[in-house]
Amino acid sequence: MVLLVTSDNEQFTTEKDIVERSVLIKNMLEDVGESDQPIPLPNVSSSVLKKVLEYCEHHRGEPLPTADSEQSQDETRKRTTDISEWDQKFITVDQEMLFEIILAANYLDIKSLLDVGCKTVANMIKGKTPEEIRKLFNIVNDFTPEEEAQIKKENEWAEDR
Amino acid sequence: MAALNTAYPMPPATADLATTWSFLEEGVDHIMTKLQTGVSYSKYMSLYTVAYNYCTSSKMHGNTDSLGIGNRTGANLMGSDLYNNLIRYFVTHLKSLREKSDSLQDEDLLRYYAAEWDRYTTGANYINRLFTYLNRHWVKRERDEGRKGVYPVYTLALVQWKNNLFIPVQQKQMKLANAILRLIEAQRNGDTIDQGLVKKVVDSFVSLGLDDSDPNKACLDIYKEHFETPFIDATEKYYKQESEAFLAESSVSDYLRKAEERLKEEEDRVERYLNTQTRKALISKCEHVLIREHSQLMWESFQSLLDFDKDEDLQRMYALLSRIPEGLEPLRKKFEEHVKKAGQAAVSKLVGEAGANVDSLDPKAYVDALLEVHRKNSETVTRSFRGEAGFVASLDKACREFVNRNAATGTSNSKSPELLAKHADLLLRKNNKMAEEGDLEGALNRVMILFKYIEDKDVFQTFYTTKLSKRLIHGVSASDESEASMISKLKEACGFEYTNKLQRMFTDMSLSKDLTDQFKERMQQNHDDMDISFSIMVLGTNFWPLNPPPHEFVIPAEILPTYDRFQKYYQIKHSGRKLTWLWNYSKNELRTNYLNQKYILMTSSFQMAVLLQYNNNDTLSLDELVAATSIPKELLTQVLALLVKAKILINEETDQYDLNPNFKSKKIRVNLNQPIKAETKAESTDVLKTVDEDRKYVIQATIVRIMKARKTMKHQPLIQEVISQISQRFAPKIPDIKKAIDTLLEKDYIERVEGTKDTFAYVA
Repeated sequence: MVLLVTSDNEQFTTEKDIVERSVLIKNMLEDVGESDQPIPLPNVSSSVLKKVLEYCEHHRGEPLPTADSEQSQDETRKRTTDISEWDQKFITVDQEMLFEIILAANYLDIKSLLDVGCKTVANMIKGKTPEEIRKLFNIVNDFTPEEEAQIKKENEWAEDR
Repeated sequence: MAALNTAYPMPPATADLATTWSFLEEGVDHIMTKLQTGVSYSKYMSLYTVAYNYCTSSKMHGNTDSLGIGNRTGANLMGSDLYNNLIRYFVTHLKSLREKSDSLQDEDLLRYYAAEWDRYTTGANYINRLFTYLNRHWVKRERDEGRKGVYPVYTLALVQWKNNLFIPVQQKQMKLANAILRLIEAQRNGDTIDQGLVKKVVDSFVSLGLDDSDPNKACLDIYKEHFETPFIDATEKYYKQESEAFLAESSVSDYLRKAEERLKEEEDRVERYLNTQTRKALISKCEHVLIREHSQLMWESFQSLLDFDKDEDLQRMYALLSRIPEGLEPLRKKFEEHVKKAGQAAVSKLVGEAGANVDSLDPKAYVDALLEVHRKNSETVTRSFRGEAGFVASLDKACREFVNRNAATGTSNSKSPELLAKHADLLLRKNNKMAEEGDLEGALNRVMILFKYIEDKDVFQTFYTTKLSKRLIHGVSASDESEASMISKLKEACGFEYTNKLQRMFTDMSLSKDLTDQFKERMQQNHDDMDISFSIMVLGTNFWPLNPPPHEFVIPAEILPTYDRFQKYYQIKHSGRKLTWLWNYSKNELRTNYLNQKYILMTSSFQMAVLLQYNNNDTLSLDELVAATSIPKELLTQVLALLVKAKILINEETDQYDLNPNFKSKKIRVNLNQPIKAETKAESTDVLKTVDEDRKYVIQATIVRIMKARKTMKHQPLIQEVISQISQRFAPKIPDIKKAIDTLLEKDYIERVEGTKDTFAYVA
């Protein structure tokens, strides 16, 4: 059993093979050795960790990406925006939680979860105009009209025609 | 609970570089120098988190110029400051390590180096993971953009080790490499060394090799430059010196053992503590110094090893010389010469001084002598030369030479095939000891060993055919099974055509048996005066080497009816076939009724013809007998001589022969059918005449076959082609081929092409 402590000082007890979906924790357990010390996670809050652990538990036992296969996996990961049914349901959360999960996955080094998060965001953006996207994510347009024209010109190739 | 997280105070996510680095540096140093005191989870997590926070912060640490519109690198990544600080840390750290190494030499230096290497690489592995985030993003981006001088943190640590410790130490007279080489030399001299230590240091050389395009790929350039090359040089020097000194005071046999051991040792050395890639260079260098450099001496000692049957040394010499290119060729040549001489010597010994025994040479003794030389040397090839194809070829070449040309054969090519065929005949006859011992098959196989080497296989074939016909006619073959086995061996060696006649002879024999039975049955139905028991062999003229008697023969009245009946019976059965009666091969049994004791006389036809004359006379003159039988006087006197010797007839007055009324014998069956001397002598020359005759036709047939295929051909190539096609059976002589060409020109099978000197064309 592993004891995790979140930024808001909440304790989570979980199994090793669940928490080892996080390459960060897996590496640390390997390097430092196992003990009953609590593991502080200063960048993760309890509400997010709860979600992350739910994800890890569901995906426990699946193979972790290895260093050698990373290259080829990168390729397939990049090409598809498909998300499995369970993941889809799992990631159906409010926008704030979505970004929190992405940040936590990045921090904890859980590649598959990071992918699910990023793909979800990508799917939200897909097919939308810049204006719609700004609205969606609450972004203030701070480009000058000249800058905007310049960017549009440079990215003309990506336009859906 | 609050205490848990604050147990390890760390700078906030927004802290500046100085604060961040001073926190990280303390942790890095702890891991690099005091790892054995342990690292807590919270310390590990805080170091990771601080590095992560710094890399993910959006502060612009003076890098604003790389931002803005038109910057193709996209979002800025933080990390170069941490990376540079890490470099500074490693440089300082390694400088102090180097200073400590300055006073160390040899094994002490290696121990220090190996211990520090262990500690350093373990620590660097930790740091590498703590800075995973830096590796994953900033380093990856830098490398993707082509800055190959930026490495993942672990690799960076190795690069720094190489530049700040390894190279500076090596620059002092190759301090590290030489320390290793001195240990290896000590081991070669028989000392025990710490192989684990050597392995560790050597492995570090391999780790320090860096392929710039892919840090994960092994690269041996450092290992090769700083260790392998000087190591190979030292090896060459060591073994050159050692082998020369060793040979100066030891025998070649001892040296072979020594060299073998040394090569084995060096193979083990690679296995134990060197990189496997070194094997090839090391072993080929050793082979050069230990074998190639002394190959001349080994070649020279080969003969004496052969002479004294030094099997183990031969094995060793073979194994060593087989490792270098062209090392075995001189051995093969010498071996061939050795076997040839051994074969010739064995025959010379048998023949005796000045060829005294050539004519009375015992076929078995001759064959056994040849076989023994083959057996012994064939074993040497298998045992000492591992049956290597080149030595097998040398053995075959030598055997071919001494089997066909030795003291017994002189210049005759037919002597060996003749003796071998005679030996085979003796084996296949009834009452042969071999057959009783059940090793007939083995003996026949040994005949085939020599047969393989016989050049004039047609001579063997002719002798064998003659001998076989005798065995069959006289019913003295040991067994049909063994005969068939031998024929199938010959067929396997030379093909169907070669044994065709032999097989037909067997067919004739069994057909004759049936024919005799059928004839007998028919005669029993038609006649009742069957007081003569008769059996016949009808043998195809083309398959049997038999000739009818060259003189007239009066068929005795007593057997004339049987003769006529069979003649008639056969003509009806096979009209158009011509029967030639071979009286000279026939045999008869006569029952006596002029004596008190009844005897059965076993005779030849000629003896029978003579004896039957005495049914009506007691005394006959030579002339009367000639008149009665038509047997030429010269032959008849020999026939009579045997009868006189057996005391059937009495020859008291010149040219007068009386029946002996007092004949007595211990046996009821009296065998009078002894071979006549003149016949046996003539046999060999007859056979050779047949061979010569056959060869003419073989050569002619071959020429016609070649010309039919090629249409036109020049003289020289034609002769070459004929030789190559026929050499399977015998070695044709060029004058014979020329003669055959002339014959074919005469017979208009081929013609000269007009306007050319030496081109022939096939005449369709």
